[in-house]
Amino acid sequence: MSRKINVAIKRQYDQSSGSQWEKFSVDYEPGMNMTTVLQRIAAQPVTSEGKDSTPVAYDACCLEEVCGACSMLINGKVRQACSALVDNLLEDKPDQITLEPMSKFPVVRDLVVDRSFMYNALKKVRAWVPVDGYFDRGAGPKMSPHEQEDMYPLTTCMTCGCCVEACPQINERSNFIGPQAISQGVLFNEHPVGKFEEDERMEALAGAGGIADCGNAQNCVKVCPKNIPLTRSIAKAGKMATKHAFKRFFGS
Amino acid sequence: MAAETAEKQSFAVRHHFLLRRLHSLSGIVPVGVFLIMHLTVNASINVGADVFEENVERIHALGPLLIPVEIVGIFIPILFHALLGFQIWFSGQPNTGAYSYGGNFRYMLQRVTGGIAFVFILYHLWHMHWLGNSFGGGFFDHRPGAAASTAAEAMQMSIWAIPVSVLYAIGVIASVYHFSNGIWTSLITWGITVGPSSQRIAGYACAMFGIVLGLVGLSSVRGFAKFDANATTETASHADSVDSNETLETQAG
Ligand code: HEM
Ligand code: HEM
Ligand code: SF4
Ligand code: SF4
Ligand code: FES
Repeated sequence: MSRKINVAIKRQYDQSSGSQWEKFSVDYEPGMNMTTVLQRIAAQPVTSEGKDSTPVAYDACCLEEVCGACSMLINGKVRQACSALVDNLLEDKPDQITLEPMSKFPVVRDLVVDRSFMYNALKKVRAWVPVDGYFDRGAGPKMSPHEQEDMYPLTTCMTCGCCVEACPQINERSNFIGPQAISQGVLFNEHPVGKFEEDERMEALAGAGGIADCGNAQNCVKVCPKNIPLTRSIAKAGKMATKHAFKRFFGS
Repeated sequence: MAAETAEKQSFAVRHHFLLRRLHSLSGIVPVGVFLIMHLTVNASINVGADVFEENVERIHALGPLLIPVEIVGIFIPILFHALLGFQIWFSGQPNTGAYSYGGNFRYMLQRVTGGIAFVFILYHLWHMHWLGNSFGGGFFDHRPGAAASTAAEAMQMSIWAIPVSVLYAIGVIASVYHFSNGIWTSLITWGITVGPSSQRIAGYACAMFGIVLGLVGLSSVRGFAKFDANATTETASHADSVDSNETLETQAG
């Protein structure tokens, strides 16, 4: 007889319906991750009590923790399903693994959420380099290897939502844009071409919902799967915002 | 998310950033600086009643200026900081259950100790400050010869001696934790400590500062709780048969 893994999943039919828990048992396979478990459930959507159910909806894409699509709450904590190894989870808590959709985003269905919040936040801080190129303007300004080393980690953000999910300052009562957008704003402010739009970015970062809403709990940096130095970006953004506010106050 | 136009946005929204920076600043100057001075002055009771009374006298030497200085320099900043502090508190959603990291606990404690400090200050003003006079409190008399003993008596009132001392100890610990951790976060807020190692070093420094200030504060609670009000007033007023309490009442009244 093969070993079974018990999985409890918080399910929700669509954005407007309520949620309920459903339990599944899946045959254990060595080296499984949580996405594999969800694949097995989708292949045979029968609950632990033997009732027929529907496949559990989930997002996944790269399966190697670079796209950020599969973030969810696993045993109550946010992380990627594709890099959550069943063996490790069972070591911590052998009887049951729980899966829930992230709580700070609207649920589309089951474990699939709508992460537009983060893309809108990126728009607010204009997290891009403005190039509208009809002409070839030649090579841009050079960056030192040191600057590149500082900036590279920030570029690895995959908009997965872990930091947003874990941040106590993001909830229905706040307008905080969150650590991911702050860090991206800092990245493009420090970019030799992105710099030209620093003032526009700072309007968002030094406005309502901007950097001032961070409460320095530093959960974001703890949960970021890419180990992005978010708290460093946050402190930098704090400094940039103070300078910006002074400039605006005395310059106009 | 608010789709209001700039003109329609409330004052708080338009000046969000400025208000938050003022909140941070007010926690250090003047409120934090006041806390340091206040706790050190109180601790001087351990050196001697006369030293404490000299220090109190130096503050009250401001005379008619004292009330405006108190209002503008202490009460308004604390009230501003506290009201915005409560608003910030309730705009957050603590989640230490799921994410039990040290930083997250400090975040939550920053809010809880702020709340405790607020309640303590209200009680404390009733208890010691003349503002409490009209509410049956205000047991402290700042005049030389009375300051040390009235403060001590206020701390030692019959069966309340232990509860009052415990309350003061809690007030000191909450305020000092809140201030020390607040210095640590304000260094990030203002972009002074940016990287993880500078934040770690700042953390040790703030913890050391907090421990020292906390001990100073607790020593003054102990100082007043143990101070023998009768002994000194008797020597000070050279009263031999008169009960020192009566002496004080005649002095104060
Ligand atoms: C260590 C124990 C403490 C003692 C013995 C003590 C004693 C006193 C006394 C005697 C006064 C009245 C001063 C006057 O009327 O001239 C006073 C005022 C005051 N105390 Fe305390 N206090 C203590 C701790 C604290 C703490 C922890 C705080 C928290 C921030 C605090 C905040 C205040 C405030 C805001 C005032 C009114 C402002 C002023 O009169 O200067 N005290 N305290
Ligand atoms: C005893 C007097 C007080 C002192 C010395 C003090 C000091 C400070 C300091 C230095 C900060 C750090 C600001 C920053 O991170 O930039 C702070 C933050 C804070 N204070 Fe106070 N405070 C006091 C009373 C209060 C009260 C009565 C409340 C009411 C709940 C409060 C609520 C807060 C909150 C919520 C924060 C966090 C702000 C944030 O995360 O941005 N404080 N305080
Ligand atoms: S900063 Fe880290 S946790 Fe946040 S969205 Fe980007 S990769 Fe995810
Ligand atoms: S440090 Fe700021 S952004 Fe990061 S989790 Fe805490 S409150 Fe949120
Ligand atoms: S599937 Fe891309 S991060 Fe998990």
